[in-house]
Amino acid sequence: MKTLHYITLLCVLLGMNRLIGQDLLVEAESFDNPGGWTIDPQFEQQMGSPYLLAHGIGEPVQNATTQVSFESPGEYHIWVRTKNWVPGDWEAPGQFQLKIGEKTLDKVLGLRSGWGWEYVDKMGITDKQIDIELVDLTGFDGRCDAIYFSTKYEEPPSAFKKLVEWRKKVKAEPNAPSLTKSYDLVVIGGGIAGCAASIAAAEEGLKVALIHDRPVLGGNASEEIRVHTLGIYGNFERILKKLDTEHYPNGSAEAKADQKKRDDNVKSYKNIDLFLNHRAYDAKAEDNSIQYVDARHTATGHRIRFTAPRFVDSTGDGWIGFWAGAEFNYGRESSETYGETWEEHGELWTPTEPDDAVMGSSVLWGSKETEVAQEFPDVPWAMPVAKKYARVAGEWQWEFSSPDHNQIDDTEDIRDHMLRAIYGSFANAKKDSLNSKRKLEWVSSLVGKRESRRLVGDHIFTFNDAKEGRKFPDGVVIEVRDVDIHYQTVLEDEENPDFISEALFYKTPQYYIPYRSLYSKNISNLFMAGRNFSCSHAGLGGPRVMRTTGQMGAAVGFAAALCKKYDVNPREIYTGYLEEYLALIERQKFEKIPESKK
Amino acid sequence: MRTLLFLVLVGLLSGTRPIPKEVMDSPPEYFVLEWKEGTRLHHEPTDFFIEIDSFGRQEVFALVDEKKAPILYTADIATPVCADGECKLMNMKFYWTLLGEYAGFDRYPMMPLTKHDHDVFEEEDYQKLHRLLNDDKSPLGRRTIDQLVEKPTMRTVNGVDAISGATITQVKEAVVSGALYSCYTAWHLVHGEIQAQLKANTISVLNKQMLVAMLYSSNDEYQLFALEKFSVPQYQEHYEQIALAFKTSTPLVRSIIAKRLISKYNDAPELQRPFWQAFDKVDSGSRSLLLKAVNNAPNYVFDILSQQLGSMSKNQLKTFLGHLFDKGKMSAEIRNNLLEFANSKNETYSYLVMGFLEESK
Repeated sequence: MKTLHYITLLCVLLGMNRLIGQDLLVEAESFDNPGGWTIDPQFEQQMGSPYLLAHGIGEPVQNATTQVSFESPGEYHIWVRTKNWVPGDWEAPGQFQLKIGEKTLDKVLGLRSGWGWEYVDKMGITDKQIDIELVDLTGFDGRCDAIYFSTKYEEPPSAFKKLVEWRKKVKAEPNAPSLTKSYDLVVIGGGIAGCAASIAAAEEGLKVALIHDRPVLGGNASEEIRVHTLGIYGNFERILKKLDTEHYPNGSAEAKADQKKRDDNVKSYKNIDLFLNHRAYDAKAEDNSIQYVDARHTATGHRIRFTAPRFVDSTGDGWIGFWAGAEFNYGRESSETYGETWEEHGELWTPTEPDDAVMGSSVLWGSKETEVAQEFPDVPWAMPVAKKYARVAGEWQWEFSSPDHNQIDDTEDIRDHMLRAIYGSFANAKKDSLNSKRKLEWVSSLVGKRESRRLVGDHIFTFNDAKEGRKFPDGVVIEVRDVDIHYQTVLEDEENPDFISEALFYKTPQYYIPYRSLYSKNISNLFMAGRNFSCSHAGLGGPRVMRTTGQMGAAVGFAAALCKKYDVNPREIYTGYLEEYLALIERQKFEKIPESKK
Repeated sequence: MRTLLFLVLVGLLSGTRPIPKEVMDSPPEYFVLEWKEGTRLHHEPTDFFIEIDSFGRQEVFALVDEKKAPILYTADIATPVCADGECKLMNMKFYWTLLGEYAGFDRYPMMPLTKHDHDVFEEEDYQKLHRLLNDDKSPLGRRTIDQLVEKPTMRTVNGVDAISGATITQVKEAVVSGALYSCYTAWHLVHGEIQAQLKANTISVLNKQMLVAMLYSSNDEYQLFALEKFSVPQYQEHYEQIALAFKTSTPLVRSIIAKRLISKYNDAPELQRPFWQAFDKVDSGSRSLLLKAVNNAPNYVFDILSQQLGSMSKNQLKTFLGHLFDKGKMSAEIRNNLLEFANSKNETYSYLVMGFLEESK
């Protein structure tokens, strides 16, 4: 059996050596064949695991199937870890059933509020090997994390901390991964920044591990999220052209063409070991220096420990820094903190008092005209969010941020809020006879985030650095793009949908981001590139776009090469090797002359 | 012939105009503010003007009430609108608020606005123009007219982001069909440098009465401005009106009030009551911001909120229960409210309260 299932014998000895209990935990993401279900690892840190999602945009998806082995026959109680993602006074949107062997069990799943276990049934298992299927009933994002068989009628814990402990115990998982791999540089996060960092470092001869939790590279620019890249190439045109996108409309299927280009280019570097479908889940620092990063395969659960003298946090959410104890910021600084006021837009630009507001996350989507009439079901559970809003596609303005949601802790709720906005708005649009032949074509199940943790470096890049075009001796990233900060339009009018944003644009001269914003202030061997670089909330407004973050990545990759050459940490490149670093950045602009041509 | 007529009109309308004598006793035809019954406004000259190419300066007047307090600013504007080599004259009377924001306009019935095909503006077109002018963040603001009439391009040109299809759609939806140039010209007139000048002028003559009037206005920009300038004693003196604004104004205004609830009313806990009582009347975001203050709130707040559990989101409920747990003691009334909620079959998050009650036994 290909898939790794966790079988543990929980033997309880009661006076005599009698086996009275056997448990079997089947992780849904480890199914042999997920069918039409997709593996969703986005919320592992919040709800405990990757899970299977029936993202059929209104049409039930094909069954997920797997085969499991039982050590011994017997009567088994069955639970499924799931949740009703829109609890309320309506039929739950994401319903599914469990099929065991030839029998579809009656119990409809996906009905409980909040992640936890739903009891399915008791069943006699006679075969050692048995097929299990997940049968989607709705096509509207039913979700299954795991299936648990136990001869004892004892529901596993639902509370998060207890569940984590329970899972470890059931899987008999030791603390450390059994496999350790060592590199010159470990890059975590395969968005444009992480890819650029990997390429730059690899070109200078470093052995690089690039860890990414999706099957394809590019993050927000990938065909899975479909945001086009903006900004300029700066010093790194040659590298960034291998990774960026055309200026297609956000959400366009044209993202697929750039996907192939990007994946092929990164894979062409022999000294980049690419760990796709691996999600980092821990980092350990000693004496403020990261010793290792642990990652887990999003389907098999197989774990690897990565060691290296230096690491790059391109996770977007700054997870590596967070786990390692790096200083970080979240939310908006007061306008006084760095003097980042813009009188015209007042509180919407920077607040008088600091707060936790940040730019929101987008979920892009689209529909298409067809030749025949197309039905779309009623979605009463979506209407409290969509209200009367009617649209047939969603661009960048489809964005959600609210004081009730943290962009890290509540990402699943944010994604789900956007799904309700999308399905509801499309259902409204379908009521117009003009859209009778229109069919929902694509809705991302991935959250395209703009802002969350910002790790703190030796320099915190602010709006004023951009506004004044401030020059730095280490200004390695160059940008001309306006600073734009988003806010939710509902702030100005309660009648506006709460999932639509507006942008405030400040026209700037050419500006520069110093290298000192690209490594951690207190974790000595940690670089950061991407939206989690060292900046203020308003400072992120300009350079959060992906050619700019790509520049950060490339800048960091080249710095890592010099770190290796002199066996120094990122800060020392600024204090001791800046001239050589800048010369390297100049030199790399052109293809190296092959040995044969010299 | 058309050119000749145009030149004559230019001659008539340019140059310094006399101070309008008439008393303004009714609101502008298109107006964003409230007009109080009995208001009578007089024109007073200011130092400000709008410079229009080949038309010269167009003066801006303050509109003051009987007590000489400024209420609005206004200017009669005549400006050419040119498209494809053809120019037409646009005549409008624009109004600005004391903060330099767009307040409204009057049209001249004898000189209606026209579209590209020479059709005159209909009522719905004026309404749309009014909505457009009232949008200070319109994408028209940061685009040249040439960019707006170009077809969207797919590539980034020389590092400058080309205008996207999304922006084009946004613009199309916002402007009067067939009158992009007129809309564009009007928007830039209203939202030009004059805005900052007028606001600065207001600040230079600002007094207590004006600030209080702003708070009592239903205009959220005025409310924000007053809340920014108010001292702690003023917050306390006008707490009822501020609580009313909290209930009825925009989520942005509410967010400011919620963030300042403790700092402005720390020594006057009883004045906080109407804000907490409005908990279930305001939007979810404002409720979350209010709950951030719960740790420093007076004890009675827990009684109030325990009756409003049904209006809380999952996170809000968790926050509230967390603080309740930290406080350590619960009145019988609060416990009863929680129990009732926990046992309700209609409450989505009753399980959270049930768990809390079990843990805190």
